[in-house]
Amino acid sequence: MSDHTLHHHDDHGHHEENFITKYIFSMDHKMIARQFLITGIIMGTIGMLMSMIFRLQLAFPDMTFPFLEGVLGHWGKDGKLDPNFYLALITIHGTIMVFFVLTAGLSGTFSNLLIPFQVGARDMASPFMNMLSYWFFFLSSVVMIASLFVDGGPAAAGWTIYPPLSALPKMIPGSGVGMTLWLVSMVLFIASSLLGGINYIATILNMRTKGMKMTRLPLTIWAFLVTAILGLLSFPVLLGGSLLLIFDRSFGTSFYLSEIVAELAGGIERTGGSPILFQHLFWFLGHPEVYIILLPALGITSEVIATNARKPIFGYRAMIGSILAIGILSFIVWGHHMFVTGMNPFLGSVFMLGTLIIAVPSAVKTFNYLATLWKGNLNLTPAMMFAIGLVSLFISGGLTGIYLGNASLDINLHDTYFVVAHFHLVMGSAAIFGMMSGIYHWFPKMFGRMMNETAGHIHFWFTLISAYCVFFPMHFMGLAGVPRRYYANTAYDQFDVFVDMNVFITVAAIIGGAAQLIFLINFFYSAIRGRRAPQNPWKSNTLEWTTPVEHLHGNWPGEIPSVYRWAYDYSKPGAEDDYIPQTVPDKDQNDPMEESTGLPEVGYLTVKAEEHAHHH
Amino acid sequence: MKIFNSLNRILLLITLLAGFNFSLDAQSAEEGKTLFKANCTACHAINDKVVGPALKDVHKRREEAWLIKWIKNSQALIKSGDATAVQVYKENNESVMTAFENLSDNEVKSIIAYIKAESEAKAESASTATVAADPKSNNGTTPEEMASNINWLLFLVAILLIVVISYVFKILARIGDIQGRPTINWTKLNSQLLMAFLVIGMIAAFWEFFVHGKLTYFSMGAASEHGEAYDSMFMITLALTGVVFVITQALLFWYGFKYKNDGTRKALYFPDNHKLELIWTVVPAIVLTILVVRGLLVWNSMMYTNKEDARNIEVFGYQFGWDARLAGNDNKLGAHNFREVGKVNALGVDQNDPNAKDDIIVKELHLEVNKPVNFYFRAKDVIHSAYFPHFRAQMNVVPGLPTKFSFTPTVTTADMRSKIGKPEFDYVLLCNKICGAAHYRMKMVVVVDSPADYQKWLKSQKTLVNNSTPSAQTTASN
Repeated sequence: MSDHTLHHHDDHGHHEENFITKYIFSMDHKMIARQFLITGIIMGTIGMLMSMIFRLQLAFPDMTFPFLEGVLGHWGKDGKLDPNFYLALITIHGTIMVFFVLTAGLSGTFSNLLIPFQVGARDMASPFMNMLSYWFFFLSSVVMIASLFVDGGPAAAGWTIYPPLSALPKMIPGSGVGMTLWLVSMVLFIASSLLGGINYIATILNMRTKGMKMTRLPLTIWAFLVTAILGLLSFPVLLGGSLLLIFDRSFGTSFYLSEIVAELAGGIERTGGSPILFQHLFWFLGHPEVYIILLPALGITSEVIATNARKPIFGYRAMIGSILAIGILSFIVWGHHMFVTGMNPFLGSVFMLGTLIIAVPSAVKTFNYLATLWKGNLNLTPAMMFAIGLVSLFISGGLTGIYLGNASLDINLHDTYFVVAHFHLVMGSAAIFGMMSGIYHWFPKMFGRMMNETAGHIHFWFTLISAYCVFFPMHFMGLAGVPRRYYANTAYDQFDVFVDMNVFITVAAIIGGAAQLIFLINFFYSAIRGRRAPQNPWKSNTLEWTTPVEHLHGNWPGEIPSVYRWAYDYSKPGAEDDYIPQTVPDKDQNDPMEESTGLPEVGYLTVKAEEHAHHH
Repeated sequence: MKIFNSLNRILLLITLLAGFNFSLDAQSAEEGKTLFKANCTACHAINDKVVGPALKDVHKRREEAWLIKWIKNSQALIKSGDATAVQVYKENNESVMTAFENLSDNEVKSIIAYIKAESEAKAESASTATVAADPKSNNGTTPEEMASNINWLLFLVAILLIVVISYVFKILARIGDIQGRPTINWTKLNSQLLMAFLVIGMIAAFWEFFVHGKLTYFSMGAASEHGEAYDSMFMITLALTGVVFVITQALLFWYGFKYKNDGTRKALYFPDNHKLELIWTVVPAIVLTILVVRGLLVWNSMMYTNKEDARNIEVFGYQFGWDARLAGNDNKLGAHNFREVGKVNALGVDQNDPNAKDDIIVKELHLEVNKPVNFYFRAKDVIHSAYFPHFRAQMNVVPGLPTKFSFTPTVTTADMRSKIGKPEFDYVLLCNKICGAAHYRMKMVVVVDSPADYQKWLKSQKTLVNNSTPSAQTTASN
């Protein structure tokens, strides 16, 4: 490691960069982070626009929208959305949001940006692999978008692509070329994710600066570490599952197909496989994936809340414990997506038990956030507002998980709008809020400029209100038995009572979507013309704010600073400022590895109170 | 005169014939309507494209003989090389239309008559609508065009609003720069907004519970035996999570309001407290243990039912519809083979199997009240999910993987209708797993009858072999 440090030290003064190595095939983690972010934002915008189109269909199933024919061509003939394309839209919306925005866009951006910065490294363990990780992601995005334009349309079997629907082009046009491209895109995506994940883990474990013990890491880094491990263990399973599906689709095998006659399956009778096997393989990734999305958002929230509350995060050790517990438990609960597949009821019981246990570490995290806010000195910046919003959405969406994780209740809630409401609140909106919080907080670090605060606050309020207006009423539709993925509810008289609600939801969604325009304008305008950022705009303790505002290859101009304390010494009694950066030694502390009072000993407050009483 | 007379007679005959013809048409259109609803609506509508094309004016586009051949077995027609058939097949993404060999020529004709009648009725009402609408839009714009103009107008107004607001904020920022302090103290404003959001949000949430709660299936009560345990499990969960929801959200927003930075305080250095952490780990753990134990009891009672007098019914799902097969007097379902589906009979049942002889295939499922039912699910093509929301029952229907669910209906359709005051109400079986374009229309009406009504209905059905009327079914087990 010292070689690495020296090399950069010698090198950074006369490092030659041209346009291509600096902006395109860059190996610098800061540039790669920005590439991930901007690609994620573009994909997110596409995914959001898709939701606008199918929300229009759900609210006004009988109306025609002439502009659809212009946008979608023959899929919107005479201004009517084609039912097959409706299914394609929800499929690609889900895929884009889950993988391209909330996995790559969120974790890719902030892991890349913050891991080297916050552990005190000059770059990732392998900058080259890091570059590959982005370009695999880019290719995968291009393939996914290209699939929108092929004959038969993009994949349309839902983002979970359950076979046989996804395996038999006869059954739905989207299972033709579109599905093949979906699978190719996903294989590329998994490659990207694995390249990134290995790098993150290696960097966190091996390249921490002097004094940066694991128990002094900011919670963001702990979240990224566990996220990367989850991805590394679960994505290969999806890769295997996808390859078998490619075999079934293209080479006439029957891994997932059983009792399908020849005329439905490309002339070859398929029998002996199991459609449920695919669901097991898919959800073995799919459930940890939920936490791959959520943990980085929670890590960001911990950091943003502590900094802006000017208070140490409450229960640092318990927070790490919760992250680890959630990570481990997430591997043994995938079956709760499959309670009604006809699996052995005993297996259902086991999955139910595991699922409800996850609620305990989640509750601990929530209470710790509340305790961090208690008696804080809150700066309600846009980042802080989004972090508070995340906690609110996490509570609202998390609580309905207790219904869905209960196998007996799931029987009637499975695949209804109740589920749609649940995961859009707890995973969709909450993670987006975490991402937004991170963007507003680290924008000065990424672009050296500040975002417009007023626009940020307006963006926040519109987004929070519309998120609740869109997803909260959906619970009630679910409890009336309205299934998800329905092109229209017109075939059932008993769903007519929800016509008004659907219109309301669509209007709220459009307002929420329009509010994202404020963000987009603010983001791109500020990146180019925003006010210059000071070095440490939020008066934060972590290492990234000790680097110069102008990006530097190798991050620090001189030696990498040593770390003497944990990241959360805010408003420490006796200190002059309300923050003490990690690089500041405690008095009498010479060796960074020496335990300082940085990490408070257990029962700190009682000791202090006693001392206090003693003095008087 | 004679000629005139005979002419008159002929005319009279023609009129009579025409009249007769007309009434014949009306009658068969009426029959066609029933047949259309039972067989076609899963994939077709008159005016809209669903899976298959819109059927309006199809009698003008194609000859009747061709239509009969096509409807009975489109694949055979395509294979015979019929140019029109091949073209239609290609235009519709090569999706295979179900073969309706069970329909007689006359039945197909009455379906066509119904489509014809509907097409003409629609055309008439459309033309009258245009006439009626015309005077209102005096400058010749149709309502649709007007709507699209309004959309553009709204769009422009929205853009203008954004521009105006952004200028207002810019000016405020300028003023702030001049005065040396920000004109809007966002920390203060946000803290107030957080409080307002909490209050309004809570009121809205409770309003929803009381208003929209009435729209849920809980308001009509469960219609099955295990449904009561289900509903009470749900309500217990609702009560516990509801309390947590209110407390945590209130604290979150209250802290946001109360502890805003007002420049006078320093935050409390409070990094941890083991007692507190122990409390909020143990309390949720206890609450969840209660929910898990109760949940497991309910789950097991639902999944491990074994009632001796249960009737066996097979539910068969396909793109896009359901068939049900009653086991008949022997309460044994005859063997089936997936390769035979749609050939000898719709479900591929082996008609030589003695168990199959008294099986009954139905399109509308009737159940007898308070009589347990074992459902056996089977799919032809892709995964479907049989969802009976009113009975709190659901099970996936997977090709090649038999699944099972049992329940006992406890409220007849008639009783439920009078209980909720909706004479049109019907229980339904919905498809609840994405299965293709007409997924959203894949339903079967479920009727729960009193024992007497059930026997009456049963007598009107035909058994699979011999087409005989089933004898009265007493208890299925003996």
